[in-house]
Amino acid sequence: MTAIVRPRSMLITLGLLLVLVFWLSLALGPVSLPLGDTLLAGLRLLGMPVDGGDTQQAELILGQIRLPRSLLGIAVGSVLALSGVAMQGLFRNPLADPGLVGVSGGAALGAAVAIVGGSMLGGLPPAIEPYLLSVSAFVGGLIVTAVVYRFGRSDGQTNVATMLLAGVAMTAMAGAGVGLFTYLADDATLRTLTFWNLGSLNGASYPRLWPLLIVAVGVALWLPRRAAALNAMLLGESEARHLGFNVERIKLELVLCTALGVGAAVAAAGLIGFIGLVVPHLMRLLVGPDHRVLLPASLLAGASLLLLADLVARLLLAPAELPIGIVTALIGAPFFLYLLVRGRS
Amino acid sequence: MRIKSLLVCASVLVSQMAMADALPQRWVSAGGAFSEWVVALGGEGKLVGVDSTSQHPRSLHSLPSVGYQRALAAEGILALKPDILVGSAEMGPPPVLAQLKAAGVRIELLSAKADVPSLQHNLTELGQLLGKPAEAQALMAGYQQRLEQQAAWVKQVQQHNRAPRVLLLLSHAGANLQAAGKDTLAAWMIDQAGGKNLTEHNGYKPVSNEAMLALDPQVIIFAGAKLEGDAAGAALLEQNPVLAQTSAGREGRVLVIDPTLLVGGLGPRVPDALNTLSKAFYPSAQVQTAERNR
Repeated sequence: MTAIVRPRSMLITLGLLLVLVFWLSLALGPVSLPLGDTLLAGLRLLGMPVDGGDTQQAELILGQIRLPRSLLGIAVGSVLALSGVAMQGLFRNPLADPGLVGVSGGAALGAAVAIVGGSMLGGLPPAIEPYLLSVSAFVGGLIVTAVVYRFGRSDGQTNVATMLLAGVAMTAMAGAGVGLFTYLADDATLRTLTFWNLGSLNGASYPRLWPLLIVAVGVALWLPRRAAALNAMLLGESEARHLGFNVERIKLELVLCTALGVGAAVAAAGLIGFIGLVVPHLMRLLVGPDHRVLLPASLLAGASLLLLADLVARLLLAPAELPIGIVTALIGAPFFLYLLVRGRS
Repeated sequence: MRIKSLLVCASVLVSQMAMADALPQRWVSAGGAFSEWVVALGGEGKLVGVDSTSQHPRSLHSLPSVGYQRALAAEGILALKPDILVGSAEMGPPPVLAQLKAAGVRIELLSAKADVPSLQHNLTELGQLLGKPAEAQALMAGYQQRLEQQAAWVKQVQQHNRAPRVLLLLSHAGANLQAAGKDTLAAWMIDQAGGKNLTEHNGYKPVSNEAMLALDPQVIIFAGAKLEGDAAGAALLEQNPVLAQTSAGREGRVLVIDPTLLVGGLGPRVPDALNTLSKAFYPSAQVQTAERNR
């Protein structure tokens, strides 16, 4: 595969695209705000004393609804895409997605425990209740990933193939657990579970945003430092070792970044499929396999794609909204099929 | 009927003129039964949006849908410029409710519990918010009276008849049948209509063919059909041949009810439905009471 476009101009284009989509995400919504009001409200939110009309409603919608939602979208999209690159590099397989190490399955199980178990327990302290779901999903993802990683270890080495199979098995087990809780759930919690499994950026608020933003920034800063190692891993593990990379450590770091990143993203927005699979794939076609470019390109494209999908999700059925997982899968799955067909010919 | 609706319109106008300033004028209702009550209280003109469970009356279908009550979208609802959002405690997610409140939308939580005190509370609230406390009170009194009459009738009939064993089955688009458990509104309705609900589980759970045979219901209530009446009953038996082997199937005692009755607490249509159910539970007793009334 050769790069079609020069990497630098591609990155600049993707950056501009993200700025544009971010602006759209702030400017568009079911409430139609005049462009002038949006600009004015934006400037006032930034603390600039601007003269002009009354923008109280615009400030509220912009500051309390659209901005946290858009930031959440950027964080979730970029983390999912970066984790996708990490997993495809680790497994040396373009079909790998972040769910392979069990983090999505574990998070889903954690969420099911929180949603169904929480309602069974009844009165939880109100201080904990809003965060129970997120914390439980995050912890579930970490635990299952840790178990999968542990299965892959033997004699101080991490066998990637074993880890992959262990991931499949653990995901199936987590799925059985979710199924059990689905059966135990009453109607109301059942619907909550179903909706959570489809993901949504709805109801984004700053308290839920900060933990994810911290993790996302951490992953976004850390993974690009391992670009050279990921490039070497493309040649094969022993080759990477001969080139002087501590392969076992790199593998642990990749798994850890994925578990933390995807865990936090899923905890904040539910299960959102296909971003982690399709974005790295698409970017590899556009900028080539060099991880020094592939990682930032995927970060930018993942964020843009998720924001776009969210725009569709909230505008299509307004005043109701579509779970975003449906939109990403509807965009992602046909594209993936196209890649399969193209690769075969 | 026409005169009645004219009267209702007139009273709407009068009360609106009297209290137009203080009362919320643009309503979003997130709950099937709540929407029905708002309509019953003459507030349909004030509804600007309803949730996905508000399926009855059919005229509500033309209103914008705000989606499922537990997955509401703040900006979508704000776009409808509502003064008030009514719904049950299940409504959410909580951050969205907080955002709506911050935007000045009044959030009115009503109870979705299927019992008379909850209904009384709901109707009082709705009546005040719609500026029709007297109408709400009258509706509640009539409702309670009908429930009491129903209970008395059932009690009387049960002196001579044994309660039939009843199973309520729910099915969507030909998927596996789910039986209504003991904590559901369906179970409450079966009990009120004088039947004996056979299930021991909570909520709606799939039941196996063999379990349905073993339960051997004398009456099957079927909810969730596109078809209506006898055609739906026949289709149910055709798709689930095992049901034909139960007492209900052999004697053709399959009732069909509107599944929207079973969502979101006690709605205005419940007394009528109870009446229909109990008539079908006790076909012979029906004749007796009819004769006695004569």
